[in-house]
Amino acid sequence: MNSAPHGHPNQTTDVDPVTVEVLRNSFVAVAEEMNSTLIRSSYTPVIYEARDCSVGLYNDKPEVLGQAAGLPLFLGNLEAAITATTDKFGRDHYREGDVYILNDSYIVGTHLGDITILSPIFFRGELVGFAATRAHWIDIGAKDRVLPVDSTEIFQEGLRLGPTCLMREGEFVQDVVDIVALNSRFRRSILGDAHAQIAACRIGERRYQDLLEKYGLETVWAATGEIFAQSERLDREVVSAIPDGEYFAEGHLDNDGQSDEPVRVRVKVAVDGSNMRIDLAGSQEQVAGCVNCGLAQAVAACRVGYKLVINPQASVTGGTFRALSVDAPTGSMFNAQEPAACQFYFTPLGLLIDLIVKALAEVLPDHTAAAHYGDSMMLYLIGRDFLHLDGHMGGWGAGIDNDGETALINVTLGDLRNFPVELVESKFPVHFKRYAIRDDSGGPGRTRGGLGTVRDIEVRADDVVLSLWFERAKTPGWGLFDAGDGTPPEVVVHVAGEEPQSLLKVNALPFPRGSTTSARSGGGGGYGSPWERPIERVQEDVLEGFVSRRAAARDYGVVFKADSDEVDLNATERERTTLRKGVR
Amino acid sequence: MSGSHIAIDIGGTFTDIVVQKPSDGQIYIRKVPTSPEEIAETIVNAVQDAIGPSMTCTQLMHGTTAGMNALLQRKGAKVALVTTEGFRDIYLMGRGNRPDMYNLFYQKPEPLVRRRDIFEVRERIGPDGKVEVPLEMRDLEAVAERIEEASYEAVAICFLHAYANPTHEVAASDYLRDRLHRVAISRSSSVAPVWREYERTSTTVLDAYIQPELRRYLSDLDVRLLDGDLCDDLFIMQSSGGLMSSDRAKNVAITTVMSGPAGGAVGATALARQLGHGNFLCVDMGGTSFDMSLVVDGKAATVTESSMEELPLLLPMIEIHSIGAGGGSIAWMEAGGLRVGPQSAGAYPGPACYARGGTEPTVTDASVVLGRIDLGSFAGGSVTLHPERAHESMERLGAELELTPTELAEGICEVVNNRMAGAIRAITVGRGVDPRDFWLVAFGGAGPMHAAFIADELDISTVVVPRHPGAFSAWGMLNAELRRDFVRSFQRIVDPSGTQEVSSALSELKEEAADAVSAEYEACNTITFLPFLDMRYVGQEHSLTLQIDGELSSDPDLLRDLFHESHLTRYGHNNRAEVVEVINLRMAVLGQLLKLPEVGKSTGRKDDPTPDRARMIFDRSEADVFVYSRQSLRPTDTVVGPSAVKEPSCTTIIPPGWTAAVDAVGDLVLQRNRKVTVPVHPDADETNEVRQ
Repeated sequence: MNSAPHGHPNQTTDVDPVTVEVLRNSFVAVAEEMNSTLIRSSYTPVIYEARDCSVGLYNDKPEVLGQAAGLPLFLGNLEAAITATTDKFGRDHYREGDVYILNDSYIVGTHLGDITILSPIFFRGELVGFAATRAHWIDIGAKDRVLPVDSTEIFQEGLRLGPTCLMREGEFVQDVVDIVALNSRFRRSILGDAHAQIAACRIGERRYQDLLEKYGLETVWAATGEIFAQSERLDREVVSAIPDGEYFAEGHLDNDGQSDEPVRVRVKVAVDGSNMRIDLAGSQEQVAGCVNCGLAQAVAACRVGYKLVINPQASVTGGTFRALSVDAPTGSMFNAQEPAACQFYFTPLGLLIDLIVKALAEVLPDHTAAAHYGDSMMLYLIGRDFLHLDGHMGGWGAGIDNDGETALINVTLGDLRNFPVELVESKFPVHFKRYAIRDDSGGPGRTRGGLGTVRDIEVRADDVVLSLWFERAKTPGWGLFDAGDGTPPEVVVHVAGEEPQSLLKVNALPFPRGSTTSARSGGGGGYGSPWERPIERVQEDVLEGFVSRRAAARDYGVVFKADSDEVDLNATERERTTLRKGVR
Repeated sequence: MSGSHIAIDIGGTFTDIVVQKPSDGQIYIRKVPTSPEEIAETIVNAVQDAIGPSMTCTQLMHGTTAGMNALLQRKGAKVALVTTEGFRDIYLMGRGNRPDMYNLFYQKPEPLVRRRDIFEVRERIGPDGKVEVPLEMRDLEAVAERIEEASYEAVAICFLHAYANPTHEVAASDYLRDRLHRVAISRSSSVAPVWREYERTSTTVLDAYIQPELRRYLSDLDVRLLDGDLCDDLFIMQSSGGLMSSDRAKNVAITTVMSGPAGGAVGATALARQLGHGNFLCVDMGGTSFDMSLVVDGKAATVTESSMEELPLLLPMIEIHSIGAGGGSIAWMEAGGLRVGPQSAGAYPGPACYARGGTEPTVTDASVVLGRIDLGSFAGGSVTLHPERAHESMERLGAELELTPTELAEGICEVVNNRMAGAIRAITVGRGVDPRDFWLVAFGGAGPMHAAFIADELDISTVVVPRHPGAFSAWGMLNAELRRDFVRSFQRIVDPSGTQEVSSALSELKEEAADAVSAEYEACNTITFLPFLDMRYVGQEHSLTLQIDGELSSDPDLLRDLFHESHLTRYGHNNRAEVVEVINLRMAVLGQLLKLPEVGKSTGRKDDPTPDRARMIFDRSEADVFVYSRQSLRPTDTVVGPSAVKEPSCTTIIPPGWTAAVDAVGDLVLQRNRKVTVPVHPDADETNEVRQ
């Protein structure tokens, strides 16, 4: 990743602050327009409803001018795809009207289902930038009909494309279209989505050309330089305020889906003046299971962790991450090499993001939060004629002033919405018995961790199989500063006619009619000593049922009078004193 | 003899009153300050004032904020929510999404009921409407006791799949109504009988939350207006852009939440009819926000899903998008760069030129420095402006950015106009329409000042500043029709047998609707039934709501064609091989009220308009321009830019390159002169081609 600060060679024009600000807003507007186009034109709900996509407008370096993301993890890593394409073909190869496609996990970082489509932008015959899009395609020919949870090499995960010319000077390269189409179970949908991505690129090209026409190349480049400089200044100001030093955090995935060995994730955040370096050395070597990712995606995850803490409200430009550099040793799970499997690339990244925030907590206590429940927590039911896959919401970590939020989507999924019960029951032979907040699952603290959820379902069809991918039982949502952890996840699987069992990951378990699962997602960690939580807030939690009376006494030292909603203040004082001593 | 027609729109700062008298058909506008504690009093006074002694008001159209304010100030009722056993947390959990994706501390919207206000009862309906577990009346008895004990003021009932079979909800609501007195009851199968339990619950809870307050308010108005014989009929504006009787409003409180803003879009549809142009982009720029809505082919664009304060609502509503850009938006410096907004100075301390303690430069200050605001008549003369303060604020920030005060002032306007144009572009592109096919209609205090500049950015050639830009929403209400929306969940594949059933169900729905509105629509001279179907490709979650004529619904081929075509327009593609299904039937019933013909001003004039002169700045250079009083302009007058037209509620700026003409009824129509078209689109033809 090239993130060294540099100015454009042609940057000679002086540009006024008004034009700079107008262009800064215009670049974001162009990206929003590309995004609207992609979402409007896409074929599959995973894009137009779940927003599993992102778009960006880049200059020719490539540095981001404006971007719009549906998923946080797609933050600022489209340029890796552009760079790889330019490296392969050379700048001189590009022609107006060209479109390129790629999905190689080791280049773009994600799983093969995420397809990047990009196009060069020309102005008066000169290469001036790129429009790039990424969207999740419903099927790219993996060994199973859904994301396989048990792949051990990338060749099982679908068609793999390095930088490939999809359209040359406005004409499709039919051979490529045919290869892509022949390798998908849903070729109509994916070709439709390809068209939507191309339409979004075309809008980006035209709007960028309009701006160049209106303001002139020199002015736009000069303004771009200033926009990047502003983003950089803004970030460096915050990073400089962090004491120089090295900050560490470490955690483990439960396993890689193949064995039951925990998988280590280790983070070192080094702050030196206005520079921050995130080093992932010490994290596990690439593993047999499918939890590896390409470097570009590790960089993107580090950027998310950084962005959560450093100027989260500022829009992302080519200057935003100049204060940040990322190292991940080649061959580690964060810089995986062929043939490492990458299907669940996002699982370690959720943990990685939490760990970056944790490493910075001691020096930025009011900009950081305890850990969240951690992963998408996927449940699949696959029948003869249906496929139901569902993520689970869980608890988020508490901050210095706020309880963690209850029942939210995990950090890598952003604005994704869960499925309504009424929709699932209408479309699939699945019956819900209960969908509720999981009481007592939030990590106790001065501010409390958010609570997980409970989803109890029964299958009402024959010949169904169940797959599960639940994580973070061994490193649940941890608390900060003497607070407790959130409760880890648990899935009780009751196959009809057998004894109930607890499982977190399983592949294609036969799941006959009448079988049930009770999926309980984890809570977030607390923040600060639980015995410092104001008594009335503990009381409120008890009255709401989020905390049981037993847990109120055990974790918070708050004792209720028998058969009453009133707190026994004397007993509480005694309990809290004991708790305090117990820690010291 | 018929009395006056009056429309009253309650705004945050001002209440707008539009009166049309039967004697001359002319429209009279008044603006009075809004005093939140005495809104009913204000209305009664306004009506008395307007009609004079021993006269009546035949129709009073009212945009109410009673419901919306109860929500915004969190002063609604204490609500108990009754749910299916096992699902009491649905409302608290929501859909789990995080719109603010890099915010570690994201918090969901504050729910309107606490968890201990939510009660479960044993019952279960399946997705097909079959009863799986009968309603357990003993559970309901226990809930009724709790509601009495804890003195809840309202109850919301939302059971799973109640849209498919409402019998349990109806039984529960009947039981609770009998058992509990003075408790308002809202059930989801009546408020929003469509699927998706969280959104439906949220809609039902909101209805229950604002219902008691809205009832109190409307009953009070009834007593004062109707019993006082001041007024024959009181109509309330709905969020959908139609009117309803105040009696009905008491039972469907939730439909009033966007009562005021809906008036603007309705006004634009009336303009569309009058001007013979179907496509309008309505922009309302006030002190803190910039609101946009669309009229496409003469119809206000509506949505069936939206949100208030982040709480979802499943209701037909005028589609209104808002961004935080207004006269009060503050310009500031970040990391060496100029920024405008989203922070607003509001009314207090307000822009620097208000001299109320605000010192930071705002968009309004910029307009003052550029000479674009008439100092004497700002906000109807209610605020005295201090141009020297505006200058000082520009000087301070300008020095830091190395800009002169006028350069900064023009820059601030440029930035904010560009952002507003960008927001419009994203909305139109998302809908699959091209902004260049639209006219801009500008109203609100600051809209007419910025409209031509926004139009330039979007390559829009025509801007309309309606004849009453400061009271356009109220004027829209005066022109509105009665409307009532019926919806029934009805899932069928579009094939010969499915459409047969759809068609007969629609006929049933029409009969039901006709019965239901008969009393309310007594005063209407014509009643129109508009059937709609919510359709989608099998497998999609969201649907398109399409208006159909009765015959169409029984012909599967025509119906499918209509859907494929609409899908292509809205989403850019379609799939004729895929199976299409109907999921909801909708029937809108419109009732045309007897309107007084609006009489325009005469073209004759007593004397020539004698414009004032002012110094204004355009494109970094000062110009000596004419400022006309709107009052003095007559139909067929034209005003060449650069110039301005002032009136008590706002100033319209006609920039260089634009010409304004007054139409027959007094609207100001601005057009860009052909030869000075600003943003160049050399590939305009190609653009059209690609967009198809």
